[in-house]
Amino acid sequence: MVGMVIERDSVGEEGDDVVTPGEFLGEATEFIAGKGAYVSPNGRSVRACLTGRRKVTAAPPGSHDNRSTIEIVGHKAHGAVPQPGSIVIARVTKVMARNASADIMCVDSKAVKEKFSGIIRQQDVRATEIDKVDMYQSFRPGDIVRALVLSLGDARAYYLSTAKNELGVVSAQSISGGTMVPISWTEMQCPLTGQIEQRKVAKVD
Amino acid sequence: MDVDTRNMTPTNLIDKIVVPGDVVLDLTKMENQTIKLGSGLRQDCDCISVLQAGKLRLSKPNKYWVESSQKRYVPSLEDTVLGIVVEHRSDNFLVDIKAPNLAFLPVLAFEGGTRRNIPKFETGTLIYARVVKANGIMNPELSCTDASGKAAEFGQLKNGYMFETSTGLARMLLSSPTCPVLEALGKKISFETAVGFNGRVWVNASSPDDVILVSNAIMRSEFLSGTQQRIMAEKLLQRLEKV
Repeated sequence: MVGMVIERDSVGEEGDDVVTPGEFLGEATEFIAGKGAYVSPNGRSVRACLTGRRKVTAAPPGSHDNRSTIEIVGHKAHGAVPQPGSIVIARVTKVMARNASADIMCVDSKAVKEKFSGIIRQQDVRATEIDKVDMYQSFRPGDIVRALVLSLGDARAYYLSTAKNELGVVSAQSISGGTMVPISWTEMQCPLTGQIEQRKVAKVD
Repeated sequence: MDVDTRNMTPTNLIDKIVVPGDVVLDLTKMENQTIKLGSGLRQDCDCISVLQAGKLRLSKPNKYWVESSQKRYVPSLEDTVLGIVVEHRSDNFLVDIKAPNLAFLPVLAFEGGTRRNIPKFETGTLIYARVVKANGIMNPELSCTDASGKAAEFGQLKNGYMFETSTGLARMLLSSPTCPVLEALGKKISFETAVGFNGRVWVNASSPDDVILVSNAIMRSEFLSGTQQRIMAEKLLQRLEKV
């Protein structure tokens, strides 16, 4: 009879082996369950609940409990997800009378793995004179904007805001096809024809 | 001998048929001039080229545009159009004006319009309205008042007969002085018409015979010159008297 003993590296570093949900990670007396792990119903073992690699962090010195924390890292759900308060980069898809919809592409300078929808409402385009906002003079379909996530919004889209100096259109193409150059916070100019188009422009340092 | 170049038009294609790709103006040969480009023309660095097939027109001193005629309509500001109501939403009517998108007609955009006296337009109602917002991206917006808020003939068109034409014929019917065919018909028959820039014409007269005669005369007059239109109208009117 051949038995195989697999030695588990239980202190200090990330294992190379992949663990799957339900797999035994360690004793509850020796480890605290971190992100991606849980204590089994009988209270004695720590098991994984995600697919990924094990990571063990030693207990911080001076805490009551000197058990290490075991957690699962490297799993797919780590793609960026917009949270209220994060700055996102989005591409405007549709401009309507009272709002504009945009596809969120990056969250806090990290690209997303799946597309999120955002909406910029008329009252969130800028900070002053919000009832006189003309959506057509603020955004056009295809513009790249930097926006702030206000809230999780409704089931369809996050609510975004560009009501700050550093938020707004970052890059846009003119009707003639050239990439426009910003000349003020409301205007951008096409280098090919010299035509000026209105946008809500972001102040980029 | 100095040639006075200010009055020479820089192109010999004025009032001629042009097709997409034709270069109409060379800006390097024209200095210190402001040129206004209308529809159908595009600036490509130093030359102006044609986007749409049609006739090149110039309005002195410096407005150039291409006049073309299609069956479809591209909404533009301050055009008067004939629309057909498709749906009634809470704050506007959805109206079909032969454009890529349905147009919105706010329920309050009528003279003396308040939330209490919203007009009851059913699906299929013919409306004469004015375009107040038209950009290529959003749905166009209409209004049944003129700029000062008065009704001015806008609103529902009752009775009569509506037929569709090309945008070129609609513009010809709306030109001033009065189009020859309408003038010739108006001498013998009393009728009223509403012409929309979107290629829809509505005709109303006291008897169905007159309505049919006027409609047919208008439909036939698209490619006729002024004299030919008058002759055609007179022949039709003679037939009416004989019967």
